[in-house]
Amino acid sequence: MIQLLIAGLTVGSTYALVALGIHIILRATRAVNFAQGDFVVLGGLFALSFVSLLHFNVWLALIGSTILGFGLGALYERFILRPAAKVSEGAVMIASIGTVYVLLYGHAMIWGNEPQPLPTFSVAQSLTVAGSTVAVQSIWVMGLLAVMLGVLYVFFERTMYGKAIRAAANDPVGARLSGINVDRARSVSAAISIALACFAGTIVGPITLVGGSSGITITVKGFVGAILGGLASPIGCTVGGLLVGLIETFLGSRFAHDLVDPLVYVILLVVLLLRPQGIFGGRRIARD
Amino acid sequence: MRQRLSVDLRLLLIFAAAVVVFGVVGAHDATLIQAATYGAIYAVVAIGLSLLLGNVNLVSIGQAGFFAIGAYAVAYLTASFTWPAGVAPWEQYLLATLLGVVLSGLLGVVLGFITLRFQGPYLAMATLAFGAIVVGLLRYAPAFGGVSGISNVPYAQIGPFAMSGIGAYWYAWFLVALAALATTLILRGRIGRAFEAIRNDPLAAEVAGIPVRRYTIGAFTYAGMLAGLAGTFYSSYLGLVVPDAVGITVSIDVLLMVILGGAGTVSGAVLGAAIIGFTNLYGHSYENLRPILYGIAVICVAIFLPRGLTGLLWYRTGRRTEATALPPAPAVAVPRAEIPAGTRWLEIEYVSKHFGGLVAVDDVSFALENGTVTSLIGPNGAGKTTLFNAICGVVHSDGGKVCIGGRDVTGWQPHRVAALGAARSFQNARLFGDMTVAENVAIGAFASKRVGDADIAAALTGYGVAHMRDTPARDLAFGDRRRVELARAAAGRPGLLLLDEPAAGLNADERRRLRDDITALRRDGITVLLIEHDMSLVMDVSDRVIVLEFGKVIADGKPGEVQQNAAVVEAYLGAEA
Repeated sequence: MIQLLIAGLTVGSTYALVALGIHIILRATRAVNFAQGDFVVLGGLFALSFVSLLHFNVWLALIGSTILGFGLGALYERFILRPAAKVSEGAVMIASIGTVYVLLYGHAMIWGNEPQPLPTFSVAQSLTVAGSTVAVQSIWVMGLLAVMLGVLYVFFERTMYGKAIRAAANDPVGARLSGINVDRARSVSAAISIALACFAGTIVGPITLVGGSSGITITVKGFVGAILGGLASPIGCTVGGLLVGLIETFLGSRFAHDLVDPLVYVILLVVLLLRPQGIFGGRRIARD
Repeated sequence: MRQRLSVDLRLLLIFAAAVVVFGVVGAHDATLIQAATYGAIYAVVAIGLSLLLGNVNLVSIGQAGFFAIGAYAVAYLTASFTWPAGVAPWEQYLLATLLGVVLSGLLGVVLGFITLRFQGPYLAMATLAFGAIVVGLLRYAPAFGGVSGISNVPYAQIGPFAMSGIGAYWYAWFLVALAALATTLILRGRIGRAFEAIRNDPLAAEVAGIPVRRYTIGAFTYAGMLAGLAGTFYSSYLGLVVPDAVGITVSIDVLLMVILGGAGTVSGAVLGAAIIGFTNLYGHSYENLRPILYGIAVICVAIFLPRGLTGLLWYRTGRRTEATALPPAPAVAVPRAEIPAGTRWLEIEYVSKHFGGLVAVDDVSFALENGTVTSLIGPNGAGKTTLFNAICGVVHSDGGKVCIGGRDVTGWQPHRVAALGAARSFQNARLFGDMTVAENVAIGAFASKRVGDADIAAALTGYGVAHMRDTPARDLAFGDRRRVELARAAAGRPGLLLLDEPAAGLNADERRRLRDDITALRRDGITVLLIEHDMSLVMDVSDRVIVLEFGKVIADGKPGEVQQNAAVVEAYLGAEA
């Protein structure tokens, strides 16, 4: 039971970070970034190259991958999302689907098709908690998720620049009149979002392996989490993402592997139909 | 819209010629013919998606789900299923195809119904989930071979002929021709005009009398059936089907084809499918580079060519027209919609509407005398527009009753209310921007069976917009937009006309003209309910004035009486005193 719980929360951590990333870009550009999951895969591969080519230790690789993600996110916003947003919201969605192909086959070209292992964050592989064996990396994943959530909270709620970014997302015209550089705020939003994706890809890499073609699946699962918790609420996105991980893991322990994803998608459709604002959508946690 | 369709038709004729020439000249090259055949299969799926995306503005990333159903129907029924003796192979194939297409259509209805409530990314994700569910279940089902799918599927049997090689080429392109013909006919007819209106502004389309929900489900069903049809031929041509080959990448590939070629046109879908079909053939040695280039191409098209490659041939950015001098007042007396004798055009009883804790409309009751002009005035936020919305079904009231011609229409959808002969205009003049003035006005008569082309022409002339009939509505000056909207609302010969601040933003000349128009509507026996802030207009044209404040009626009477009413003066803070 504890094993399932931990495994579910570990998987869910990725979805939570993807859901948050989707939320941040949605806020800034009013469009869903379909390539979010492919950036997660890319982040893991960045870390892999840092470790295997530059012989970084995993912590340096994590920082490097996150910083690379930040820069890449800024470029992604400047050269793809922003010009597409000038056309229409639909164009942003289409451009991000085009980006899925560029990333998916781009990393297959550079790193190959086969998923590869990434070193774990500590030497000890497992420990025993209340009689159950738990992977140490899972503890790291949850701990690092908590740290990242804390950093995000402080940035968006306590710093002037974080508040400015939220203002720019809520009311671009009003923010411009208050002297906020809205274009740069959007750039920084996308940069943070993609940095989160790369961060997620690196911390779960040792468990899930890095590379492969699972990007779009990760995007959809993250989106399911965001819908479940409430796309408009960062807390909802986080909780929803974790919840999807738990649901998936519990379904996996009871049903055939091939049935799990369809069942998760059925949940998406049901939630969309019955409570499109999500669990947390009714309350205005985000103070948007 | 007309420009797009005529370019589309010409391109299709060129493509048809190219297909014939290619089939004759290239018949000996098996690889080329094979690539062209796969191109045709995807073209059929793309034609359906193009209709969905470019005409109803619905992005589906789930077309592979329908494709998979068609493919598995034929694979299972012709390869695995044991038929009773005496059913010939061609009959088996025919029945399997029919079943695949019908099943896809049924699922299209279901998916269309589910997705009615979604827009944009939600819709895209819901369709994506649908495709993944179908493929996931197929992977799981042991009867369908699980991950390894179904193999040894015989070639499609059409009469005595097995469709392989060049035969398959002709047959596949014959299917494309059928799909293209059907879709072109749909787009050029009444349904196509309705789709275009829905794409431009679903709410205005619904209020003009178009059953938006039914059309949306219809579009989904049609696109699903085409994808299913393509699937039925796919598995018989390939000889096998595996779940992973009919998964999400097919959905995305087809979406990319449509975006590249240009959504909303049949030729764009065919062009996109052909481009991807042939680059697949020649790009085999560049396994990863090819999809990367697709991705880049799609990003570039999304940013620089939102109407796709074919859009280059038809899309022209218009010049904003200058406001035009006003021609003389209308003199056409149009017969209007009828209601049973002895009933009234509009009676509302105890109508209320709350938004959360806010009471927008509070127990409002009144009945209009037929053939009169009644003005609904009140400060901003008094609930006037909400009351309009409740009358025509855009919002449903929380309590009370709305009757038109004695029929209780509470809870009806707007297009049904419109069909009874009630039309309205919007505060912000919601025209169908990509359609011409004449097309906009014609949509106004969509629900009315009494109105013919001559009457639409008369409405164009009568409301002084005939000279701009071929101008796209997005290029009109503001005053002209208002006139076109009035012409559109009047074109269906309504018996009840709701006008929401028609004078807002008009200059003095245009206001005088509007006053004459309303007087003319009254002369023609049309019952008018008018929301307006221009008091001199209200006093000039109204038989009766009703004043709302905080959702309640605070005064009701002849214009002169209301003007003297102390409560009204207070509501306007003495502004009108």
